[in-house]
Amino acid sequence: MTFTQLASGFRNLLVFIAMIILLALPGCDSPAPPQNAEPVNEGKTTGAEGVIVAMGDSLTAGLGVAPTESYPAQLEKLLAERGLNYRVVNAGISGETSSGAKARIDWVLRLNPAVVILETGANDGLRGIDPKLVEENIEQIIVRLKQEEITVVLTGMMMLTNLGKTYVTAFNDLYPRLARQHEVVFMPFFLKDVAAEPTKNQADGIHPNPAGYQIIAANLLPYVEKAIQIASD
Amino acid sequence: MMIHYRFLLEELRYGGKQVITFVICVALSIATLTALNSFRRDVHGSLIDEARELQGGDIIIHAHQPISDKLQLAVDSLAQQNYLKQQKTFEFYTVVLSEIKDSSLLSSIKAVESAYPFFGTITLTSGLQLGEALEPGTVVVAQEVLDRLDRAIGDRLIIGDVAFTIADVVAFESMRPVSFLSFGPRIFISMTDLDQLGLLGRGSRVEHELLLQLSEPGDAEDITKILSASAVPRVERVETAASARSRVRTFFDNLLFFLSCISILTLMLSGIGMQGSLSAILYQKQKVIAVTKAFGASNRFLLTQYLIMVSFMGAFGSLIGIGLGYTIKRLFPLLLGDLVPQGVGYAFHPADTLEGIVLGILVVTVFTLLPLHRLGTVKPVMIFRHETGAAKRQAAPIITGIICSLFLSLLVIRQIDDVKIGIFFVLGLVLLIATVSLTASACLWLLKRAPLPTLALRQAAKSLYRPGNASRSIIVTLTSAISVLLVIFLLKLNLFATFIESYPENAPNLFCIDIQQDQKDLFQAVVGEEVLLFPVIRARLLSINDQPIDPVQERERKTDNLGREFNLTYRENLLDDEIIIGGNSLFEGTERLPPGVVALSVLDSIAEIGEIELDDRMRFNIQGVEIEAQVTSIRSRTESRLYPFFYFVFEPATLEAAPQTFFSAIHLPRELIPDMITAIVAQLPNVSTINVADVADRFGQLMKRLSVVITFFASFSIMAGCLILISTIFATRLDRIRETVYYKVLGADSNFVLLVLTCEHAMLALFSSIMAVIFAEVAAWLICTTVFNIVYQPHWYVAGLTVVCSIVLVIMIGLTSSFGIIQQRPAVYLRQQNGT
Amino acid sequence: MSDPILRAAHISKHYTIGERRAIVLNDISMQLEAGEFAVISGASGSGKTTLLTVLSGLDKPSNGRVWLDTQDITDFDENRLAPLRNRLIGFVFQAFHLVPSLTSMENIMFPAELNRDPDATEKASQLLHRVGLWEQRHNRPEQLSGGEKQRVAICRALINNPQLVFADEPTGNLDSENSREVVELLLELQQEFNTTLLLATHSSEISDRADRVLSLHDGRLVDNGYRQ
Repeated sequence: MTFTQLASGFRNLLVFIAMIILLALPGCDSPAPPQNAEPVNEGKTTGAEGVIVAMGDSLTAGLGVAPTESYPAQLEKLLAERGLNYRVVNAGISGETSSGAKARIDWVLRLNPAVVILETGANDGLRGIDPKLVEENIEQIIVRLKQEEITVVLTGMMMLTNLGKTYVTAFNDLYPRLARQHEVVFMPFFLKDVAAEPTKNQADGIHPNPAGYQIIAANLLPYVEKAIQIASD
Repeated sequence: MMIHYRFLLEELRYGGKQVITFVICVALSIATLTALNSFRRDVHGSLIDEARELQGGDIIIHAHQPISDKLQLAVDSLAQQNYLKQQKTFEFYTVVLSEIKDSSLLSSIKAVESAYPFFGTITLTSGLQLGEALEPGTVVVAQEVLDRLDRAIGDRLIIGDVAFTIADVVAFESMRPVSFLSFGPRIFISMTDLDQLGLLGRGSRVEHELLLQLSEPGDAEDITKILSASAVPRVERVETAASARSRVRTFFDNLLFFLSCISILTLMLSGIGMQGSLSAILYQKQKVIAVTKAFGASNRFLLTQYLIMVSFMGAFGSLIGIGLGYTIKRLFPLLLGDLVPQGVGYAFHPADTLEGIVLGILVVTVFTLLPLHRLGTVKPVMIFRHETGAAKRQAAPIITGIICSLFLSLLVIRQIDDVKIGIFFVLGLVLLIATVSLTASACLWLLKRAPLPTLALRQAAKSLYRPGNASRSIIVTLTSAISVLLVIFLLKLNLFATFIESYPENAPNLFCIDIQQDQKDLFQAVVGEEVLLFPVIRARLLSINDQPIDPVQERERKTDNLGREFNLTYRENLLDDEIIIGGNSLFEGTERLPPGVVALSVLDSIAEIGEIELDDRMRFNIQGVEIEAQVTSIRSRTESRLYPFFYFVFEPATLEAAPQTFFSAIHLPRELIPDMITAIVAQLPNVSTINVADVADRFGQLMKRLSVVITFFASFSIMAGCLILISTIFATRLDRIRETVYYKVLGADSNFVLLVLTCEHAMLALFSSIMAVIFAEVAAWLICTTVFNIVYQPHWYVAGLTVVCSIVLVIMIGLTSSFGIIQQRPAVYLRQQNGT
Repeated sequence: MSDPILRAAHISKHYTIGERRAIVLNDISMQLEAGEFAVISGASGSGKTTLLTVLSGLDKPSNGRVWLDTQDITDFDENRLAPLRNRLIGFVFQAFHLVPSLTSMENIMFPAELNRDPDATEKASQLLHRVGLWEQRHNRPEQLSGGEKQRVAICRALINNPQLVFADEPTGNLDSENSREVVELLLELQQEFNTTLLLATHSSEISDRADRVLSLHDGRLVDNGYRQ
């Protein structure tokens, strides 16, 4: 018991509250490894054939796993193995909702990507946000990206059963609908073979572990290859 | 051993005020110590209860998935052997639909068994028990559910596949504080309804909890160990209620620590008071002692008599102290209200009484050593000599000083359980006394030689230098007393300024996150008033001065780590609660930065963690785009408010184009919050609201109560301090009285005498209080900046007031004790002096 | 003949100690002429000191009246007595009663300073030289011998050139050598300063040199010393 603890007692409480307030669940901003941190210069694609931007929330950012184990890093490796010399930029933000994703499209465009992998909406679902809004947001993102002639890989998301059938159905259906309407490359479920598998997830039961990301990267690979092909045409 | 009862009785009778002072001093110190220790014992004892309240069981098993068979089996077998009772709860979010209107609400569902909870309380507005109100097919909901969905008791809600009737409303839930920040209000359902909801199963995210009530709560640790062995590592958490981290516990630990410090200071001050008053008693009795000795009384006889007298006074004081301590303890629940953990009783444990008595004896013994030792130095020859000679320098005071220091150190260590702080505490004290003593001597020396304009002033100055040099010890005592009081006061003021006053009535109680750029105007319109919107830009720190951030290393940090995703912001000005501590303005010298480098202001707390200094270069990766920034200023927060703060602030031009969301903190009257949330969600469906009205209220109350408790305890120190002032001045008044009489014999009128007395006391008080102010300010500053880590305000007006009050008080006491002499003819005193 | 410098009429003084009433002075009437050297003699406990304190205004009689230089001081309050004590009267005590915090010089100067006498230092210096204590001028009472203390006390009593000096057993705490010196000094200075001296003593040696000896016995003035 020291004076410092006295002070930190109060402080912890305040910091705790402030942190929680600032950072939305579930991608709570707990200490997490940073992204691939090699220098990226605006619009330049040094040595690489092109840039693929992995846009998304904590599932993309790789909350709780090392930067090299997040799916964008693993995907980059898989692509390289196939002679596809693309840089996959991790543009995931923990806790971000589809509204946040929509708002930063222009910023992502600065990276001059050939392909954008769009994984968003999970946080909207966890907060019970109206699926209609999520659909509108994602739609606007797709439209904007297509305007810039960027190939979009949309990844579908399935909401937790406990939120209720009405909500879950409305939510889950919006992804294939958007894919159909906008003719994007569509991966039906981002967490395929990973969700609800205790061995593929971290202790929180939500965020994939390195093994989980390996599966995700592998699952994504054919869709990305397809997208690269479309982009190259 | 011979006890001379009449001698003792006479001594006590004529000791008068000094005896009273002595007894009060003992009582005060014992009262604070015992009250606090007893309270602490109870708090520790009941923390288990409190933790159970918070957790709902003696042992809690927690998992994100169904409890494994192995673990369940282990629990069941223990239950069969009557070691424990068990209860399951399920908790999850779902979107609840209102039956009639097309409205929905994300809610936190908790499915409980009828006996829920084992511990803790859930208060329903109907007054019924949860188990009574919650029948199958019904739900008990938080008020917010009714408000947001516009429903009432008796209406129906649809959860999953089932329609429920709203049976009751939750007014208070003791298990809730841990999860007070949630995205949705609480709804209780009965366990029997759970399966029909269709919400559980694969693809669901449910918090599974198994609450265990033990037949022998003492077995908690052992049973936890047994069950942990059967649990799936990292997935199933088995915790005792006590080990589960409790903020309430930390809060009490902190509070008790601060109060312990105050109680020790009170004890110290009281000790000085005891020493002073006993010295005074013995000083007055010098002649009697000399006479007694002349008639053949041995030192041992006298020592015995006075020891018995002191023991009697000590015992009496201790008894009063214990009684007072009991009263104080009874007041605690009043002062702290429902913050006091359940089970803190009013009973005074026999241990408390025993402790009071033992401490009383120790305190009295230690602090009366020196005065009693002086008994031996009184020589029978004093009967014949009327002028007291200068006391010879002796080893006794030093030895006594060492004993007192040792005693205090041990006590400090015992009270606050920290050896280092105990040693610092005592070292600081010794340093204080030594410095004051030296400075006092120097000042007296100077004063003696200073050309003073009037006779009265000269006379007053010379009085301070009278033989025996009591002035120095008076100054040391006064300075110690005043500085201790002032330190407590200054710490209190600064703590309050940081933690309590910075938590005003209008502190934000509704937080809105994820407001988008194009929704700013709409948000303002919905809220209906101008609210501050903070842009939030997510980014990662890549390097400091080209030194890359190592994420693995960063994760090892106990403090905030530099590898995490940060929230950046931009603005042109400082916030109200910020000051610049490095550099001159937020973005000074931006124009001198090389192209491509932007200005950045850093908060001191992160600057400390990352050892970031002015002009350092930092690289950020803002979602794939990098920027290089140079630190142009370092900021500090003046208040630890429940308010957003940002480590990194950029110029607007740098980040305006970056992807950002906005964050807002609003204060609203509590009852308007649900409507406001409804309005916001209707217009801005993507915006998430976090209602912290409950937390805010509770936090505000906590701070107010905390201030009451601290003030209450500090007042004991203040009382002890005043007593010392009084007893010190009283103790040395004989010298002054004699001089007063001489002045009068020589033809001084009462004005002159009063003037000399006033000047003398004013000098003593002025000198002591100014020294005390310097010491207190330095000490309080040190504690605030290095230990509490809060911004220090010197509160000079308080310091000034202290000086004025000390002077007034000392003069008043000094004059009162000499006033009788002024009006009396001198012969009355001279006669006493001559012993006829 | 001028008015007497001091006159007392029917003064008595008694104390109540517990139940008992002790009569210390009993119906004493007397007077002192200016320039006189009178001695109050009597055994220990005869009331010499009390008579001296009552006559000098240091104490109040229980009955009777006291006139100092024609003023009836009996009911004077302390503040009206102050200037009289300062300028009209000087005191020398058996126990010296020097201010312990002051040096010899300062002790002597003190009454003059109270009187705002600009020549205080000058006068005190002269007196110190006169009594042979110049070397000890910076010594404080605790650093002086009994005889020295009493000489300082005499200087202090005389510095404001009082009309009347009261000396209460001035040699009571001194050895015979010092006693003689102090008495000589007192008498010499009385002549030099032309003051009236009222001295209480039980020493016949001193009484023999007095102009008049008032005898006190059990609080009664048994002899007013006027030779018939």
